Amino acid sequence: MDLIILFICIVAGGILTSLGVHMMPVGGAPAAMGTATGIATGVTMISTGAAMTGLFTASTVETMTSNIWLVVLSGAVGSMLMMAFTMLGGNIIYTLAAGIVPVSGRVDVDPITKRPFLPFKTPQTDGHGTPDVSYISGVIGAFLGGSGGALIYYGLVNYADFSAPLAGISAMGIFLTNAVLSAYNIGGTIEGFHDPKFKLLPRALKACFIGSLICAVFASLISYAGGL
Amino acid sequence: MITITIAIVAWALVVAFLAFIAGTFEDLESDVGSQSNPNSQVQLAAQVGYVNRFFNKAISGEPPAYGVYCAVSAGIAWLLLSNGLAAILAIPIGAGIAAIVHMTLASTAHLGRVSAQKRFEQPIYMDVFIRQLLPIATHGFIAVLSITTICYIQASVMPEGLQSVFPMPLLGLIWGITIGSIGSSVGDVHYGTEREFQDRPFGEGKRVTYHGKITRYAECGIRNQNDIVYFCAKHGGPVTGLVFGSILLFENWRSLLGFMIGMTPEAQVGWSIGIGVGIVIVLIVINYLLVGFARKKYGEFVGE
Repeated sequence: MDLIILFICIVAGGILTSLGVHMMPVGGAPAAMGTATGIATGVTMISTGAAMTGLFTASTVETMTSNIWLVVLSGAVGSMLMMAFTMLGGNIIYTLAAGIVPVSGRVDVDPITKRPFLPFKTPQTDGHGTPDVSYISGVIGAFLGGSGGALIYYGLVNYADFSAPLAGISAMGIFLTNAVLSAYNIGGTIEGFHDPKFKLLPRALKACFIGSLICAVFASLISYAGGL
Repeated sequence: MITITIAIVAWALVVAFLAFIAGTFEDLESDVGSQSNPNSQVQLAAQVGYVNRFFNKAISGEPPAYGVYCAVSAGIAWLLLSNGLAAILAIPIGAGIAAIVHMTLASTAHLGRVSAQKRFEQPIYMDVFIRQLLPIATHGFIAVLSITTICYIQASVMPEGLQSVFPMPLLGLIWGITIGSIGSSVGDVHYGTEREFQDRPFGEGKRVTYHGKITRYAECGIRNQNDIVYFCAKHGGPVTGLVFGSILLFENWRSLLGFMIGMTPEAQVGWSIGIGVGIVIVLIVINYLLVGFARKKYGEFVGE
């Protein structure tokens, strides 16, 4: 029974991770030069940074209470907070230090606030900064990613009998597996849920399902062998 | 029942201030030795014929690099602490050894990258290579020292309630990856968009045609990394520090507020989750206003 719940936790955590990573607006290297919309880091690393902040909060909460909802939600909110501050900091640099208006390169009008993008976009670029729709997409993405990481950690601590540090680093590893698979699927840059690339999501979900399943097999083997 | 004492508030504030310093110096270190995304332009510059005197470092990208330095530093500090050494010695020794690792990685990265550009006639300037190593090490030392101290406080000193269950080395890895990703996404924009293309018009994203054609002749002769870091220290570095400091401050603040308001552990966690969601909603509104301010003040794009 414990084994089945462990598998469910890890696989569900992996799926949530993949979904979250696809929603984060990542511009990669071009964004650091104001040539693409989104955060100016790679997909894998910004999602890992956000989820690790969430994991840190979730691990402290897990010592206080064993309620799955509270642990997962604290991981999610910790991750969301990190992402929100990071995107706001990026926008401060774009608007105040570089004098650029945050716009998207994939759509002409913001789907949420209905403010036009096209008149403000620099020609020969793919947008710049983190406009409102990408910001909200990033916040939701960090929420899902953080909850995925916290769910994996919760499963490992409670159903695989891992100690807290071992569960922490294993959760980081399983999260990275899913994040890297999703990054390959995205292929570099994505602006959020309004980006046409978002439609490639099902492919990554299948891959992350299989990847998480393999990780869960290893985790249960280690748990069966009595921990490392 | 966790009581909020002056000690827990004081340590939370110390962690936030150290995080501010760590964030500032992390970004400046990636400017004093060209790393991460803007370094792609330094790499490209030689290939489009722009021979330059930059320190083409680019060890992996900032998150994994800082994960390594902070994990090494926290691990060694933790080892010395378990052997009875006082923290005031153990933490700087750990950070010092991480600085040596850092200089090793910087040397191999620079020499490897630039020697691969031999066919584009980019020389390895030995004075650039030797002279930049120490600024790189010192900037990195301050960042790693601050992060190691944060890990030490969270693992050993922080009173019950905010103390972490993870040991110091794992905390070093976690915060190293986090600070690297923040520095890469916030401060590097100032370097890549503004300083690296200083001779392009201000107030626009850098077009694809500009890529690789970085500014090489500047205010004091041929540009080098020290010109870059002095400029980015005015804006990019402090904003990065502000972001990381704010994250740690608000994480601890919402937990403490939850402890104060809630009666049971579940209620305390529930309150801190609710406060966190509230903070994020406020940030979404601030971003909306900031984008609106930029749109109104700068107006539509002028020119072709």
